[in-house]
Amino acid sequence: MENYLYQGLIGLTYSMYLWLLAAGLTIAFGILNILNFSHGSLFMLGAYFAFTLYGVFGINFWLAVLLSALGVALVGAVMERFLFRRIYQLELPFQLLLTYGLVLVLDDIVKIIWGGAFLVPPIPPLLDGAVPLFGRPFPIYNLFILAVGALVGILLWIVFDKTWWGRMARAAAWNREMGATLGMNVPRVFTFVFMFAAALAALGGALGIPMRPVSPGLGIAMIVQAFIVTVIGGLGNLRGAFVGAIVVGMLTAYSTMLFPLFELFLPYVVMAAVLMLRPQGLLGGR
Amino acid sequence: MKSNRRSFLAGAGAIGASAYVSKYGFAWAQANQPIKIGGQGALSGAHADYGRQMRMGATLAIEQINKAGGVLGRPLELNFVDEELKPAVAVRNVRQQVSDWGAHFLVGIDSSGSAMAVGPVLAELNRICIFTHAATHRLTEELCYKGNVRQIFRASVPIYQDSILAAYIFAKRPEIKRWANIGADYEYGRMSWAMFKHTLKKLRPDVEFVADAWAPFQTLDFSGHVSAVMAAQPHGIFSTPWAGEAIGLLRTALVMGVFEKAGVWWQAMGGSVDVLEGIAGQLDRFNNKLWGTGRYLFTWSEEKTQRLNTQFVEAFNVRWGRFPNYSAECTYSAIYSIKMACEKAKSIETANVIKALEGMTIETPAGVRTYRPEDHQAVYPVPGGRAVKLPEYPIPVIGADLAVYPTKEYYRWPPFEAIPT
Repeated sequence: MENYLYQGLIGLTYSMYLWLLAAGLTIAFGILNILNFSHGSLFMLGAYFAFTLYGVFGINFWLAVLLSALGVALVGAVMERFLFRRIYQLELPFQLLLTYGLVLVLDDIVKIIWGGAFLVPPIPPLLDGAVPLFGRPFPIYNLFILAVGALVGILLWIVFDKTWWGRMARAAAWNREMGATLGMNVPRVFTFVFMFAAALAALGGALGIPMRPVSPGLGIAMIVQAFIVTVIGGLGNLRGAFVGAIVVGMLTAYSTMLFPLFELFLPYVVMAAVLMLRPQGLLGGR
Repeated sequence: MKSNRRSFLAGAGAIGASAYVSKYGFAWAQANQPIKIGGQGALSGAHADYGRQMRMGATLAIEQINKAGGVLGRPLELNFVDEELKPAVAVRNVRQQVSDWGAHFLVGIDSSGSAMAVGPVLAELNRICIFTHAATHRLTEELCYKGNVRQIFRASVPIYQDSILAAYIFAKRPEIKRWANIGADYEYGRMSWAMFKHTLKKLRPDVEFVADAWAPFQTLDFSGHVSAVMAAQPHGIFSTPWAGEAIGLLRTALVMGVFEKAGVWWQAMGGSVDVLEGIAGQLDRFNNKLWGTGRYLFTWSEEKTQRLNTQFVEAFNVRWGRFPNYSAECTYSAIYSIKMACEKAKSIETANVIKALEGMTIETPAGVRTYRPEDHQAVYPVPGGRAVKLPEYPIPVIGADLAVYPTKEYYRWPPFEAIPT
């Protein structure tokens, strides 16, 4: 029994990575109406920024993570202002073409700046170690990721449900023209929303670097996972992304342990089942 | 146009002249034309260091050979591309290199899946490929030996190294009875685990295999795998993820306290230079329980080739500022094998060079390699051992409790018996 609980908690950690990633993806879709295939690349960029700040320049890990999120938010601002803004009204295939193109461009930029090989920074001393839990040592690092995931969840709920800014963003998403008529600077709101989504992706990428070597191609690997999560939970639905992340994380952890041969394919099966039986996702689309 | 006798004669003359040029003039020009070698390996992503090391090894060999006058008086030229560990990409690369670029020989390839896809294409293109990393035994045993694709050669030791050698080493540890697997979830990892179980069970009927966890390429978080196998309380962990993924996995295992609990951890390709560099900061914390090997260790060579190895490591260090990984040494030696075979055959024709390579023995940095005539596998020994810090090297090395077994013992030999999977 203790082994199952332990495995569940490990799975929950993976869920939190997925949640950080899927949250940004689903916000961009829910509010800006853009299906951003390059969201995983922003995750990768966050990891590279954090590696450079923490691993190369020796800046404090926490500060490095924060600065990376800010840095990627700025990259996101540029992307939104000069690229996405022009295609909001276009059909989905055009969005996919542009954002997939960005995946390739960002991968190549990363290769030019940091090279093709993987990079590994040292483990931050504070997070290095374990505490006994369910009779076995549980990494402090995983506890920390769990805490960050929960905090981000609360933060997002407050921002989008309780603040004036969040209500404005949702109003603008509902009806752009009406928002503009009421004196809202809709383009600026959208830029901020996208920066926010980009920062979330970068946060996930930056937090992972002590345990996960940074390398090009990370973006593609991540985006596939993020899509599974958002499709299961409901595209554009923030609570759905949270539920989807938990479903996929748990499924991965328990199938790794119980049906090791099906670990890769179970999340896809669940996604396919959701698409067939409840195409709007478990909690409904946006 | 009006045809007359004069224009007919002029035309005939021109055809004759061009026939003459193409027969003799071209042959003469060819003598200075480079012999082209197409290479490929992983150049991007978590496994990128392998392809880079291949390219470094090949480039070093080619520079040395060209400086000394080339092969049959002709210089060597290299074209090296990214395999991306994708079979479809590897096959496309091979076709482009042979058909468009005009490659005479091929080397490299990291992924076993890619190798198995490229194999049959070699017969169709009739080009020799000397594989220098892809490790599934099926490449040489099935495609070459049983399937008769004679263009396949392999300079690197296959999973005999990852699995049979490991079984020999740990059969001598009576206290290590429960084994678990954290496997690379593709051809290489699956075959390694099957061969390890098969061999160890024969040597030690009392061992148990208690848990399996499989990690595909691009695994982002290994904690689920580590915790799943640790739930079964194994004494030994057999692990085949490699390169950057091996580092991520080992770090995760460290923070999860595996090295306080389990008795040994076999990181099959832990002797790879990129992995050794990646764990340098944490070496003490493995509690002397981290074991591994490689398809060549820059710190070890057979007695006969020790000097050759020292020279190679030094030349490599001067040229690239790093220690050579096994993918570098195997590719370096593959290029020298091509040279020797062409010179022996006095030809670069595929059929002649195949004949020259079969049974050929060559002194290389790793040791004395002999290409078995039956399956075209190069035979040479590589030790396994514990990862330690030695004063003479800036990075950890596989340098303690070295176990060297004769190739007669730990290689599989034709006719190859089937392995239950």
